[in-house]
Amino acid sequence: MAGLRRRTLLTAAAASPVVLRHALGETPIKIGMPVALTGPAGEIGTQMRHGAEFWAKETNAAGGILGRPIELIVQDTTGDPATCVRKAQDVVERDGCKLLFGMTLSSEALAVVPKLAEWNAIFMSSDNGDGRLTGSSFVPNFFRANISGPMETRVISLWLREGKLGKFFALGMDYAWGHNSIGVFQDEVKRAGKTFVGDVYSPIGTKDFSTYITKIRQSGAEGCFLVLQGDDNAAFLSQARDYRLQDKVQLITSIVDLNSIHAVGDAAIGLAGSTRYVATIDNPKNNAFVAAWQREYNALPDVFEGEQYQACKMLQAGIEEAKSIDADKLRPALETAKIDSIKGPVAMRACDHQAVQGGYIVKVVKKDGAKFPVPEIVTTFPGDQVTPACRQMTFDS
Amino acid sequence: MDFLAFLVTQCLNALSQAALLFFLGCGLTLIFGIMRIVNFAHGAFFMLGAYVGWSAVYVTGSFWGALIAAPILVGGFGAAFEMGILRRLYGRDGHSFLMVTFGLTLMMGEAIRLLWGVAALQVEMPKSLSGIVFILDEPFPIYRLFLAGAGIVTALVIWQFLERTRLGLLIRATSQNAEMVHALGTDVRLVRSAVFGIGCGLAGIGGVFAAPMVTASLGMAPNAVIDTFVIVIIGGMGSFLGSMIGALLVAFVQVFGSYYFPDFALAFMYLIMLTILVVRPGGLLGKEA
Repeated sequence: MAGLRRRTLLTAAAASPVVLRHALGETPIKIGMPVALTGPAGEIGTQMRHGAEFWAKETNAAGGILGRPIELIVQDTTGDPATCVRKAQDVVERDGCKLLFGMTLSSEALAVVPKLAEWNAIFMSSDNGDGRLTGSSFVPNFFRANISGPMETRVISLWLREGKLGKFFALGMDYAWGHNSIGVFQDEVKRAGKTFVGDVYSPIGTKDFSTYITKIRQSGAEGCFLVLQGDDNAAFLSQARDYRLQDKVQLITSIVDLNSIHAVGDAAIGLAGSTRYVATIDNPKNNAFVAAWQREYNALPDVFEGEQYQACKMLQAGIEEAKSIDADKLRPALETAKIDSIKGPVAMRACDHQAVQGGYIVKVVKKDGAKFPVPEIVTTFPGDQVTPACRQMTFDS
Repeated sequence: MDFLAFLVTQCLNALSQAALLFFLGCGLTLIFGIMRIVNFAHGAFFMLGAYVGWSAVYVTGSFWGALIAAPILVGGFGAAFEMGILRRLYGRDGHSFLMVTFGLTLMMGEAIRLLWGVAALQVEMPKSLSGIVFILDEPFPIYRLFLAGAGIVTALVIWQFLERTRLGLLIRATSQNAEMVHALGTDVRLVRSAVFGIGCGLAGIGGVFAAPMVTASLGMAPNAVIDTFVIVIIGGMGSFLGSMIGALLVAFVQVFGSYYFPDFALAFMYLIMLTILVVRPGGLLGKEA
């Protein structure tokens, strides 16, 4: 009698939609995305959000992962590390996310990673540049699918070695980032056996760059390394064009992105530098991605949109291999994950959870019919030359 | 580059910068002269000018259209703000003006963010001005020469306007003794609205002039307002000629200072301001404070 009743109950329960969905494994895979949507990093964070949303929509349309739909839970961190930790805690504890994207700034990521073990959550980074995340601050639940800051600089130095430019000058914004980046660049120039003729730093918010342009011109340099961002970058490029600086000096920057190009238009033509992702990468995967992206957003995918998409694909490959989102099962699967990405083959490395991938040097050119100039790939360096040794931030040769 | 070419081009650079600073400083000083208030939102009007200019170029396809539309719209908005809000505060002390105009800066910044977006916007300069000329074999942008010229012309026009027209006379009279002007049958309230509008319009036109060089961006307002205050303090609050001298001084110090002493580029400007404040507390041409 009792047995019979239990069976009836079970049958009735199984017929109810909620349990049915469970039985088919259709509970959504929730991914928390605390990301800077406002504040100085808001533009980058918004790109990351676009990239993740595009992937979620595409994947859900194709039946989800393991038959389960993806649900993104996006929170604005404003780019503040303390807010970021709080929002990450919210999505983990309140919304029950065991998977994380986002943390736009490295300072945010560095604040969050010590908590990952306690939360039993995996964080797949798509944009954090700080070398320490896969070095001295490494934690087992952190994975970096993107090119890191040291890898970016490495690409530029490899390019300098084979290039024909011999004399370099540098202009940077007058704070830590400008001074650090130019310090690294200066070492690389010397290591490549070339000449570094001088550097100058402009205060944040400089509007008139005429004096700096005069200095660059007078230095006799053939190439000028720029560490500028935002308004300062736009003002410098516009004015450099006014003075025809680009006719004499090759302008080089650490990161070329569409957003900066759109701010200055034709003044960006001729600018060269490294990039983490560019829509003009020519392979079937990327061409399909760019075409689908254009249908969705009526624009080319920018650097952090492409990088986020790659990070999503990396996480997806791990989940499909592990057949689970439980951190202890997912971790080993991600450590050996290899994907055929929009950037070509990308492989996660078990020793420090850095994805090994190639780096690009691009030059901004004008294409007929396009409203804005576009970055075109000049040269590509393979992953084994670009990625540092395990848990290292520098390169021996 | 020989020294003479260097000197000439740097001086021209400084002149073009002085022109930009003058558009800001002279509006601020006019407003202070008449109303005895410091318009903290002056940088925001400058920024609004750049964005309105961008839209005007977008709609009319012409930079010249922007040069006409921006001062009218920005000046009109300034006058409306004076009539709608500032006018209610004249009985109060100076702090309320500071709070209200500072609040306006924040609101305008957010409104621009919502209307035009966060990305910097590029304003194309007209083809006729985008070329270069060779000055002693050094390439120099025509646009900067044009800017310096526009600054000089505007200064002459404002000077003649203040000296020769009836409204100019009223403005000078009001700045000296508002009650007397009022007693003589002129509506001082209208003079104030007009001056606030003209001052904001000048900032707006400065924004249009600056936009092709620095793009229209959300960082324009805070940067501009600080330089403008320095100019007006150096020149003397309320002095039109003072704002001209202040703009020239600041521009030359910035251009030559950042060349010879790049590490102290900003400090020099404040050093000059401090020195002048110590020697002449009211500014070069201001009434003694």
